[in-house]
Formats: sequence, C-alpha cells, structure tokens
Amino acid sequence: MRRIRLLIAALLVAFLASTGASTAGTAPVRVRFVSLAWQKTAVEAVKEVVTAWNRTNPAIQVDYAQVDWGAIHDYMLTSFQTGNVPDVFHYESIPILDFAKRGFLTDLTPMITPEMRADIFPGAWQTVLSEGGKIHAVPYLWESLIIIYNKKLFRDAGITPPTKEKPWTWDDLQRAAKTLTKDLNGDGRTDQFGAAIGLRSPVNRVLNLSIGFGGNYFYVQGGRNVVLVGEAERALLTILMNMLYVDKTASPDGLGRGSPELIPGFLAGRYAMLPGIGVWARQSLVETAPADFEWGVLPPLKAKTQYQGSATQTLSIPAAAKNKEAAWRFIEFALSRDNMAKQALGDWLFPTRQSSIRLSGFTTTKYGWDVSTDSVRFLRMAPWQKVLGYSEWRTRLATPLMNELFANRITLDQFAERVVAGSAEILDRYR
Amino acid sequence: MAMTLSAPLRRRATTALLLVPLAAYIIFLAFPLLWLTSTSFKRPNEILVLRPTVIPKAPTLDNYREVLGPEGVVRASLNTMKVAVASAVLALAIALPAAYALARKQSRLNKAIIGWILVSQSFPSILIIVPLFLILARFSLANSHLGLIMVYVVWSLPFVLWILHGFVKGLPNELEEAAAVDGASFPQILFRILMPLLLPGLATTLLYAFVNAWNEFFFALVVLKDPQLMTVQVSLSRFRGLEGLARWGPLAAGSVIATLPAMAAFAFLQRRLVSGLLSGGLKN
Repeated sequence: MRRIRLLIAALLVAFLASTGASTAGTAPVRVRFVSLAWQKTAVEAVKEVVTAWNRTNPAIQVDYAQVDWGAIHDYMLTSFQTGNVPDVFHYESIPILDFAKRGFLTDLTPMITPEMRADIFPGAWQTVLSEGGKIHAVPYLWESLIIIYNKKLFRDAGITPPTKEKPWTWDDLQRAAKTLTKDLNGDGRTDQFGAAIGLRSPVNRVLNLSIGFGGNYFYVQGGRNVVLVGEAERALLTILMNMLYVDKTASPDGLGRGSPELIPGFLAGRYAMLPGIGVWARQSLVETAPADFEWGVLPPLKAKTQYQGSATQTLSIPAAAKNKEAAWRFIEFALSRDNMAKQALGDWLFPTRQSSIRLSGFTTTKYGWDVSTDSVRFLRMAPWQKVLGYSEWRTRLATPLMNELFANRITLDQFAERVVAGSAEILDRYR
Repeated sequence: MAMTLSAPLRRRATTALLLVPLAAYIIFLAFPLLWLTSTSFKRPNEILVLRPTVIPKAPTLDNYREVLGPEGVVRASLNTMKVAVASAVLALAIALPAAYALARKQSRLNKAIIGWILVSQSFPSILIIVPLFLILARFSLANSHLGLIMVYVVWSLPFVLWILHGFVKGLPNELEEAAAVDGASFPQILFRILMPLLLPGLATTLLYAFVNAWNEFFFALVVLKDPQLMTVQVSLSRFRGLEGLARWGPLAAGSVIATLPAMAAFAFLQRRLVSGLLSGGLKN
C-alpha cells in the first residue's frame, strides 16, 4: 500500500511539473498573431510572412496561431472580456466596427502612414471607418461575388459570354439560363439547369447584390435606422423567385446549400452557371475540376449599376494588447505591397492595396483572375455594414424570412411586410 | 397441413431474425466512420463530386502526411489524452466519496444538493467562461493544461457525481453491515466490498468524463492560447472554412487519428465494465 502511495505521489509530481503554465523566455518581445486563413495556400502564405518577419526581426518574435471563422467571434469576445488578447488579430470589417464602438480596439489612425493610407482603396477604408473618422482596423483582403460558368455548355448552346466592356444585364442572365435549362433525356425532368444559386444563408448575398439595383434596405429616418423594402429592394428577390419557380431555370438544389457546396453539381454539368459565388471559391474549382473541365468567370451583372456591397478582412490591435508598437510594426510588414499580394493570392481574394492588385498575379487570364479583379472597381461599402444590430437582424429576422420566401412559403409582399415590421423592434434596441 | 418447425430450428430462426436488425443498426452506426476513413484517403477532386464513392479511386496518404506534420494532430492528441485522462480520473476521485456520502448519510441537505447538481448542468459554457478564465488567470493557470483540467473536472463533476450517486444508492446496505459484522474496516468495506460492485458505474462515469474532455472545443479554445498546448478538437478546427466548405481530406484524416484513442478507451473500459458486472454477481 505504501509503495502504491509513493508511486501515485511521484506520478502526480511529474504530471504537475509537465502541466505547469508556460513561461517563455523574456528576451524578445512576443507578438501573438491570430489568423483566420484556412485554405492550404493561404496558410502557407501567412506562415511565409511570419517566418520572414521572425528571421529579420530577432527582437520582436511573432507567434502565429490559427483560429477558425466559426469560432473567432466568441474567441475574441472572451479575449476582450478576460484581457488575455492576441496582439494582432484577423477578422472582418462588420464586427470590427462593433468592437471599436465598445472600446475593445486600439485606434490605429495615428499609426497609419500616408503611404498606406493613399495606397489602400478608399472604398476599403470606408468599410472600417468608425464614428469620428477613426480607424481601428486595416482592411487588407476583400472579395466580390462573381459568376462562374461552364464554357462547354455555353458553347454547345451557342451563347457568347459577355465581356468586361459589355457586361450582361440580369435580363440577359435570365435569357441565357432559359437557353441552358434542358431535359437531356426526354423524361420530362430537367437534367441541366441554367443556374444554381446558393441560398442557405442568403441575406448578405442578396443585400450585397441589391446595391446594383439601388436597394439599400437600411435607411436613416429621423435619426433612426429603418428597413424599407421598396421596388429597388424587391427587384433581385423577384428575379430569383422567377428563376426558381416561374422559369425554373435555377436549380432547387441551391435552396439548402451554400454556393461552394454547389461546385460538385457544377462540375457534373448539372448547372451551367453559379451566380453570386465568392471569388475565393475558385480555389475549390481548381483543386477539384478535372483537367479537361473548362470554366470561366463572367463580369458583374448590370442592374442600374454593376455595384455590389463588400466587407473587407482586416488586421486589428486590441486595446488591451501588451505590445502595440511591435504589433503595428508587424502589421506594416505583413501588409506591404508584396506581402499583402502574397496573402491575397493564397486566399484567392483581392488585396486592398492598389499597388498590389496591379501585380501580374491578379491580371492574368488564368483562373479568371483578370475578370475577377476587374470587379473590384464595383465594390462598395454597403450601408448595412455600419448598422448596429445588423447581425441580430440578419440572424433572427432576415434569414428565416428569406428562407421562407425562397422556399415559396410566403409571398414577396408578406416578406416585405414582416421584415419591415420586425426590424423596428430589433434596431430600436441598439439605438 | 401447416409445416411445423422443430424447437431448435425455431430458436435459430428467431435468433437470425433478431440479428438482422442488429446488423442493420451496426452498419448504420459504423457508416459515418467508414465514410470518414474513406474520405481521409481521397484527394479533393474525389471528395467534391456529385456521386462520391466509398472506396477511393486513387487513394492517397497526403492527408495523413499533412496532419501528422510538425504542427499536426499527434501532439494535439497527446495533449488531449493528458488532459482527458487526468480530468476523468480526478473527477472520479472527487465524485466517488461525495457520491457515497450523499447516498449513505441521510441529511435534509441531500435533496437540495442533488437538485443543485442537476440545475448546474443547464448552465451554458459561454455563460461561465469569462469568470472561469479570470479565476484561472488569478492562479496563473490560464494557458496551461492544468487550468484546462480543472475546468473539465468542474464541468463533468456534477453529472459524474449524479450517476455515481445512483450506483451507490443501488447497492444494499446489508452488504456493508455484513462485512462490518465480519470485522471489516471502513476502507476494507469500500475497496474490497463496494468497489468491485461499483466497477460498471466507475467505468461508465470514467468513460463519460473522458469522452466529454476529449470532444470539448470551446473551453480549450479560450483557455489555451499557446499553439503548442492545443487540444485535438481545436487543432482540427483549422481545417474548417467558410460557407460549409472545409479542407475535407485533412479534416477526415485528423478525425480518424483523433478517434482512435477514444475507441481504444471504449474497448478497454468495456472489458472492465463487463468484468465488473460479473464480479458483482460471483460468490467467492
């Protein structure tokens, strides 16, 4: 019995010694950097940047950590609450504005150099501009919604793809979708749809694309944010409902799936176009498409304009960060022309620096980069990005209602009525 | 004239009929694991297809190579094993005497304590994580496995205690009284008489606490900041992407590796569980 006790005691001591809190050396300043890059090439690009920094800056060492998009919000909120924050973190412009308003972030305005300020697209700066013109995050990646098409199916149907100079309108898209929708084996069922649109979480996509119709959804009336669903807001919804239930040119597969989940069907020739898919999803196509599969990217559709809303991915420094100056120096390095380009290419997104986006990687015709990159000039900050309570509005109200609409369980009028009525209750709470 | 079956034949037919749904259920349970294993050997162009196959057409070990790399799931699995085993054993060590006391010592407080144990199960983790983290930080236990073990012990203790309480209560008092009459001391009663009979309960609760800690994600994400200390669930989340996409191949390979220790624990404890049941029914 005594032997057993001694053994247990020895094991316990050894275990406690091995699990004690880590106490790293204190010589170099440590900067903890949380990144959300997840695609293989994106992770490699970020690691390359971090390694290059650590090699050339022995006094400031960056510790790279990866967190996933699904967990980052809770991760950062708990970090802010507990004070145990990373020194630099990657996120996106919409929640960043909320974090800034709650005092969680360092004001980066005095640190941003004139060179950086001038080089990053003004539209990208707009997405992170807090009240009073302060900037709490540097926007460095952004995306547009593109249309990916099957070149062979277009050729077989005799359809000439539009060009950057002469883009399609939404009417053109609907006409092409009709031509491309076919019952190939004569069994009375559609085997090939003109399009498939991922509508599982449709709100951001619909709102971003509605900007081209002049539909903002959110307006300020008497100093309050209100939601209005007028003709401009209804235009895109009407088109989508027509494609789904009148023309039946959009596959019902899109109702329960996100756009990237439609790629297998696209590769199998079940859908000729994937409208409204994120530009980054091209990487999945490159990874999965057979060598002889021909695909391309169509320019943004023209409604009243070709504008679309876009958020940016950002780097920020928490207000509670211990090494703000070192953190900022790393941000400057990570967001230099070449490093920003490297990370954007790795993530199949656009860099926000004008000098980066002019590099050859973004203008090549390969993988539709030239057409995709051209869409950057139509990106705008959507007004809803700065509406407090938007996240709750989207999750609790707009998403279920849009799902009901797209499942054809309610009419467009009912959708409009309910979304307007429900919005007031949510948005007023955030005043 | 109706054909009649002999008794042994009837028994066999009944057994076969019972085995069919059992086999179907086992296939139903095993299929996700089979699919996971199959995906772990596939390249992306075989995963994202309209009609995927169970058997990979061009099997690859690339996914395993990636997850077994320097920042792969092996270290994370070892970390998790350490945390899960320690927290399960500690939870059990604390819960067993507490369960005995609750079951055997009659007090008006007992019902309230049991009630509180059940109520405490309903607190969502997000509610307690901030104060919990602040307490850990105060004792320099944040960003350490010891801190996470404490969290897991606290998290699984109520349920472990509740289950064990039921097991202890199910044992007749007469056994202890008979042993006492025969001159056994309290530790002898506890370890020689009750423990063998409690083995199924101990195995069940140990397994529960172990699997609970093994699968836990949120506490590990918040408490551990150093990538070297990451647990396997946090490590696997690196392969999750946006809009339903993920790096399915490495995620599946990592999940297969991460599943193995839990399966081994089940296999090991299942034997103990059965032996514990049998030993309870034997007369020495």
